[in-house]
Amino acid sequence: MSLIRIKGLKKSFQGHEVIKGLDFKLEKGKCIALLGPNGAGKTTTLRMLSGLMKPTEGSITFSDAKKDGDIRHLIGYLPQFPVFYDWMSGLEFLQYVGKLAGLTSKEAKKRSLELLELVGISDAKNRRVGKYSGGMKQRLGIAQAIIHRPQLVMLDEPVSALDPFGRREVLELLDGLKKETTILFSTHILNDAEEVCDEILFLHNGEIVESGSMEALRERHQQSKIDFIFRKKTEEMASTLKNHLLTQSILVDGNRISIFVTNVELARKEFLKLIYEKDWQLDRFEVSSMTLEDVFMKVVGK
Amino acid sequence: MSQWMTLFQKEILEMWRNFKWIWVPITFILLGVSEPITSYYLPEIIKSFGGLPEGAVIDIPPPTAGAVLASGLSQYSTLGVLIIVLGTMGVIAGERKSGVAAMILVKPVSYLSYVTSKWAGSLLLVWFSLFSGYLSTWYYTGQLFEWVAFGEFLHSFVLYGLWLTVILTLTVFFSSALLSPGMAGFISLALALVVSIISGALSHLLEWSPSQLTSYASALLVTGELPEDTLLAILISILLIIVLLWLSVFLFKKKELAS
Repeated sequence: MSLIRIKGLKKSFQGHEVIKGLDFKLEKGKCIALLGPNGAGKTTTLRMLSGLMKPTEGSITFSDAKKDGDIRHLIGYLPQFPVFYDWMSGLEFLQYVGKLAGLTSKEAKKRSLELLELVGISDAKNRRVGKYSGGMKQRLGIAQAIIHRPQLVMLDEPVSALDPFGRREVLELLDGLKKETTILFSTHILNDAEEVCDEILFLHNGEIVESGSMEALRERHQQSKIDFIFRKKTEEMASTLKNHLLTQSILVDGNRISIFVTNVELARKEFLKLIYEKDWQLDRFEVSSMTLEDVFMKVVGK
Repeated sequence: MSQWMTLFQKEILEMWRNFKWIWVPITFILLGVSEPITSYYLPEIIKSFGGLPEGAVIDIPPPTAGAVLASGLSQYSTLGVLIIVLGTMGVIAGERKSGVAAMILVKPVSYLSYVTSKWAGSLLLVWFSLFSGYLSTWYYTGQLFEWVAFGEFLHSFVLYGLWLTVILTLTVFFSSALLSPGMAGFISLALALVVSIISGALSHLLEWSPSQLTSYASALLVTGELPEDTLLAILISILLIIVLLWLSVFLFKKKELAS
């Protein structure tokens, strides 16, 4: 069952089109990663979904929206740089937000303490938020986003600002959260997406360039990658390899040439033969299946 | 309603934590006390400065208690207004600029409650400060001159409070309509000043102007009677407050919280 349906979503800033027509649905209970390089339009998309920004064109339909179109009880949102009242303690802020979201004082207190424990900052619950570190604010931000048990939790770059330990913990947190609610989070770190998400939306220059479940994605790009690292790369190598019959696509990065092929066995033989005949100096040769990063690079067209 | 109370309590607590509950009333009290004391000691002060030719007799008739109270009130027209505007200008614009407004309003919070709770919090502070300040003016005037009837004191207090409420609401309005607290403060101050000057100069045409409430309050204290246009000015002020509040909510709702 789809939770939210987005049709022809566009956003322009001063005539400059940042989001160029998005169409997608989010299913209940999934964890979806909104991937894309910086400036792809991830934050803008999340802001429009959370109602903080009005789309220039298109529609966002929540299946459980109120009659007047208010969707705020359904969503939890964490901006990229969460801001709090610095004079409140972490516990006070959570209680405040919980009560605003409709919990009774008692429920709000219980839930706040629970969440502080869950996100791992219960030691600092009585400290003023102004004294929190960046990582602690990020955790408090996640706690405030889920305090009213929303159907959809949207997190804008929840782990980008964290150190490796914090990243690990927050990703595990998200993994646990997946059982309770639908999560949509944006990131430019592919590993993070691969780790916790079932589905992916690739955003590039304001358009969805690739989407679907992880498996479907891997299947669709079920190509093998052959990496060559030459001692010295020449133009001739690049063009010969590029025009080779077996080459589906090619990426050149310094002395490294990566070739995507469907038939690995044949390709391995043919290419090695070619290199032997031409007497190119090969340093390294590696066959691997495509990672998400390769898919990313390929769809983004770099 | 419980959501409104939550928002309102937060405003009260915030003003407590940043000491507004202490310094605003204290400033008002200092302003209020200075008037009766300087009036009382004015002859002494002039004498001690000296410089008067030998034999010159200055005879300053002691002001009436009502006049002292009235000039005490007028202290709040300048510094009092400045404090109110400076203290209120960031109430919405500041939260939106910092981004915390987006954090709060992405929760199912009514925009009407958000704006009116902030207005009500500042309102309470202004009335409390004005009351403590003006009460001390009344007390010192009573001690040093004569006692003014408490009823007259209360009436003039309410009239004056209503004028300050108009200014407060104007500031809240600009705070929600503009993104910059400084701009909101500047425009509110400028507007309050212009309205006061124009209504003062054209007082025979603009009897209904809210800023006339200040002169009506003084008139009550000096003559003991309320001018007949007072009721009209009160009604216009209340109407203006309601319209400005409604517009604040309306404009705030239309704005995007993130930009």
